[in-house]
Amino acid sequence: MKVRADILRTYQTLHTWTGITTSLLLFIGFFAGALVMFAPEIDRWATSPEKHMPAIAAERYDELLQKVLQVYPKAADSVTLHFDKSLSPVSWYEQGNGRGLALDEVKWHGTLNSDGELVTQLVPVNTLSAMLDMLHRTAGIIGEIDHHQAGIFVLGIAAFAYFIALVSGVIFLLPTLVKRFQALRRDGERKRFWLDGHNLLGIASLPFHIVIAVTVTVFAYHDVFYGGLSKLYGDKPLFPGTEPSKIERKLADLPGVSELVAKVEAHAPGYTVSYIRYGNLTKPAASASVGVVNENQLMRGALNDYVFINPYTFEIASSSAAHPEQNVWAKIVSTFFSLHFGSYGGDLGRWAYFLMGLAGAGLFYSGNILWLEKRRKKGIQQSRSYKVMGALTVGVSLGALTGIAAVFACNKWLTLTSVNINQAYLFLYYASFFSVVLSAFAYGPARTAIYGLKLLSLLCVFVPVTSFIATVIPDTALWEPNSLEALMVEVILALFGVFFWLLSKQVTRRALLNEPGSIWYLKDSTITSEMSIRHSV
Amino acid sequence: MKSSTHIQPHWVSKSLAGVIAGGLLSFAFVGLIVWFGPDGLKGTLTSSELLWKTQFNMWIIAPIWLLILSMTFLFKTGKQAWRYLLLASAVCFAMQTILRSAL
Repeated sequence: MKVRADILRTYQTLHTWTGITTSLLLFIGFFAGALVMFAPEIDRWATSPEKHMPAIAAERYDELLQKVLQVYPKAADSVTLHFDKSLSPVSWYEQGNGRGLALDEVKWHGTLNSDGELVTQLVPVNTLSAMLDMLHRTAGIIGEIDHHQAGIFVLGIAAFAYFIALVSGVIFLLPTLVKRFQALRRDGERKRFWLDGHNLLGIASLPFHIVIAVTVTVFAYHDVFYGGLSKLYGDKPLFPGTEPSKIERKLADLPGVSELVAKVEAHAPGYTVSYIRYGNLTKPAASASVGVVNENQLMRGALNDYVFINPYTFEIASSSAAHPEQNVWAKIVSTFFSLHFGSYGGDLGRWAYFLMGLAGAGLFYSGNILWLEKRRKKGIQQSRSYKVMGALTVGVSLGALTGIAAVFACNKWLTLTSVNINQAYLFLYYASFFSVVLSAFAYGPARTAIYGLKLLSLLCVFVPVTSFIATVIPDTALWEPNSLEALMVEVILALFGVFFWLLSKQVTRRALLNEPGSIWYLKDSTITSEMSIRHSV
Repeated sequence: MKSSTHIQPHWVSKSLAGVIAGGLLSFAFVGLIVWFGPDGLKGTLTSSELLWKTQFNMWIIAPIWLLILSMTFLFKTGKQAWRYLLLASAVCFAMQTILRSAL
């Protein structure tokens, strides 16, 4: 396909600038986002099995709820029944409300024992997945604007640039699209391999990236959009108003849990209820927010659809679940959300999104490598921008990975101490991140990459090693994975460990190549001399 | 002579045109959909339709804005980008005003 030369040139420049300014932020967002696909599994892995209370049979939830409300009247303001067997059957907040990343929330967990007695325990809320989600949404940028995390707005701006980068990338690939898509040239220049890889990844995952760029823009700026929209609406209301109910509610009138479940499942055929969150049960504003799951639907939430229903009258206030009377706009809006969250197709969908998230991080990293290779001059003298970007590329990407790995590696050991584990997570992440970034500037990208990747690999492998220690020394309070999901977390970490170790080897080989002036080149260093001795032997 | 037929870079003015005038145009365009598109405000909506249609209206602002922004760089000059985008917005807003009073 022919495209005019000046258009190609314009969009090539655009691609370069929009790419290089956003790639590292997007790298962190995508990598953390890939992990968040398995947030429930990660949280389950992160906390000791004792903190989860045994599941109960479906028909015992009525008895459970009644006992909780009797013994803990405060729970009537907000209490959640979980039907997911991996969670305690009932929980409510003693401190906090579960919104955002709060570090000192405490929850009651409860269940019924075989004699039908209520058993409860207080558990500090673990925020490992919430922290990963914070990194996913803000790229770790600290600070707040008007009670919103500043990083969300920054990533919103990055999404604009990222969308331009996608469009411009496609435009300047158009003339050679078909030819390039089929080629992954390993011979010839090193740059060729990175270029072909970048193009292949970009074109193959283009629809996914378009979805992410658009949805991130909306997630960051929906308030602004609604503000503008209200001007367009004039004196018409944006949303239907609801009359606040004045009817007093008594717990004695509360219909049974099984009735509510039956009502919701009849409303949305094909769905199963995963949780019910009751709110304000003793007030006129009594409400129930019900999480419902159907793997064959594009769901509005990351894990489920929502049905908001009055727990006394069963009047449905609103529902995102696919149901016979659902209008087309509801379907479309749920689809937008679902395409970002990957909340369709069950576990298969989640694995696909996990891989696409990792591939996205790879795409941005490879873009930076191409930028660097293009700017590298022959000879030893290099421009400042080349050196700074080289250090930033290695420092930020490796720093974020090391920060996350450090949190996973220390998690179980931290539970043996008395520190606030959620604060420790943040400290570990930022300390590791900034150490690696500083090291990339102080010791150069090559040395930082070689040693940093080895450290990263060890941190990853330390997780299964911890479980091994827990198995052979049963007296510690450490624990081994007690479910397939928790085991998978450790298997994936072990695989990451192997991958990063091989990557370190690769960087060492690269450092040995006689390419003075490259950020990867090492001269007169212990690594290269050791390596060259080993190689010559 | 030749340079006048080619696209000029004008990065700053075109970027600003794409963000500001392009943003205005996307709202102006969505305004037409809001009022006269399917399930528009001119008709009568059930509360469930209004609840979701408003969310839909909010959602489509973003892709329209992003598309306009990324195409803004095809204008020959920054001035042209501003001129055409503002003109298009004015046309959309005018259509909205006329149709709202006519229909």
